[in-house]
Amino acid sequence: MKHLFRERLDFLPKEGRTDALLPWVIAVMMFLTCLSVAATMSIQSGLASWSQGLAARISVQIIQADDAARIRDSEAALKMLRATPGIASADEIDREAILDMISPWLGNAANISGLPVPVLIDVKLDNPGSVDLDALSIRLNATAAGAKLDNHQAWMHRVLNFAGIVKWGAIGIILMVLLSTVAIVIFGCRAGLATHHESISIMHLMGAEDALIAREFDYRYLWHGLKGGLFGLFTALMVLYGTVSLLQKMGQGLLSSLSPESHVLATLLLLPAITAFITMMTARITVRRALLEML
Amino acid sequence: MLVFSFENVGMRYGMGGEVLKDVSFSLEPGSLHFLTGHSGAGKSTLLKLLYLAKRPSRGLVNMFGQDISSVNRKDLPRLRRKIGVVFQEFRLFEHLTTFENVALPLRLKGARLADIREHVEELISWVGLEDRMQAKPPTLSGGEKQRVAIARAVINKPDLLLADEPTGNVDPALAQRLMHLFVELNKQGTTTVIATHDEGLVNQIGAPVLRLEKGELRVLPGTETPSTTNPYLRRKEDRT
Ligand SMILES: Nc1ncnc2c1ncn2[C@@H]1O[C@H](COP(=O)(O)OP(=O)(O)OP(=O)(O)O)[C@@H](O)[C@H]1O
Ligand SMILES: [Mg+2]
Repeated sequence: MKHLFRERLDFLPKEGRTDALLPWVIAVMMFLTCLSVAATMSIQSGLASWSQGLAARISVQIIQADDAARIRDSEAALKMLRATPGIASADEIDREAILDMISPWLGNAANISGLPVPVLIDVKLDNPGSVDLDALSIRLNATAAGAKLDNHQAWMHRVLNFAGIVKWGAIGIILMVLLSTVAIVIFGCRAGLATHHESISIMHLMGAEDALIAREFDYRYLWHGLKGGLFGLFTALMVLYGTVSLLQKMGQGLLSSLSPESHVLATLLLLPAITAFITMMTARITVRRALLEML
Repeated sequence: MLVFSFENVGMRYGMGGEVLKDVSFSLEPGSLHFLTGHSGAGKSTLLKLLYLAKRPSRGLVNMFGQDISSVNRKDLPRLRRKIGVVFQEFRLFEHLTTFENVALPLRLKGARLADIREHVEELISWVGLEDRMQAKPPTLSGGEKQRVAIARAVINKPDLLLADEPTGNVDPALAQRLMHLFVELNKQGTTTVIATHDEGLVNQIGAPVLRLEKGELRVLPGTETPSTTNPYLRRKEDRT
């Protein structure tokens, strides 16, 4: 600790060629890491908000062959749904709209206007958990015999499955990028340190303590790591910003939800610090090991 | 207490044959020895054992009465700081100036640059490099580098000074001047070992000689002349 307050001894040559390369290598790896983290987190939050929207919506079908029964049932169902706490709105979907939706299956030739088309009610919940759907289903059946509640379970299930696959795939990719970053940082550090072996050795023979020698490398490699990390992050942010503003210009509904959010940015800002730390620790361990090999 | 004592020390590099065999000798405090032997005889190897760069393959090495093999690794830097070394290949920091190279051992002990500037500059002038104070080793001649290396080794007034061919690259007049520096330091108590090929210097000073032949060490007693007739010491008195 007392070494910290001493004047620096500057026994390390300024920058060797291998030393100067290290920040660039770190910058490239940091760039790739940032992009994969940002992409993953954005897809995650996009899927999350999409399934959230889906979860806050249910629909009710009323299937009755008899017109009068259907109208009676749908009115009863609407009344009951609107009276239920936790339900924001319940609206019958236009018969015309439903006919439009099903006409491709039945063909234009058929005269479908006389068909007993089921009534569809679109129900918006206050929020996904605000209504007990099982209880609601039972009460619906009691009020209107032909009513059938569809809570998009099957759909949701598939969406969530897909989200899970995306998540684990992305975590795998990020882990691989991170691991290769660590490996490259370690190799880069080692290569740089090999060129300083003579300096380490002379300092050692002049009676410098291991801690004093290692400290000089701590500073230098911490700085290498920060420099490379920040540069890579900066470049990645520029690319992300460019992509997002391009997508927003194209005005794609789903894609616009890919814009990085604040927690994504916070995570990205952490990465250069982590890289700098890994770089410093690698240098420290390598130097200590080299020193321990000397008598 | 003996500065160093070797008992049946053997030394080999890797799987090679023994460079030193059954070497036994001791260094009294304040003694001055020359170390001679033909090229490849093991002079530098013996010095490496003395400046604690290598462990012997066998045998006992004692420094200040402590068995080196039993000294805690943490205590070695303190012992090393008592030793000044002039390496055969100089081993200066190429990116540091003459001044910075020479000041380094003092700064290693925690001295502040401002407090030692005068002392360092004085020594550099003494070895004749006052004009090369801010020069870096790549721009120095062999003899100039050698003098920087010598200044760095003695700046601390070490307890033990080990010099490997310290006059190999300078002309005879300068060699005598540098030798005078060693003798002077020795008179002030620095135990000194100088490896050299220069028979002339050995004979002039008349100090005992450690002679390496075929890996074995023989100690030849000195032909010590009284200090008043020692040409190097006389020169000192002329100066004052
Ligand atoms: N690092 C090493 N690895 C293997 N062998 C070595 C090593 N250093 C020295 N040797 C061998 O040990 C022997 C003694 O070498 P050393 O450098 O001690 O000789 P020296 O007496 O200093 O010679 P010179 O007068 O030329 O400097 C030589 O045969 C040399 O080849
Ligand atoms: Mg030698």
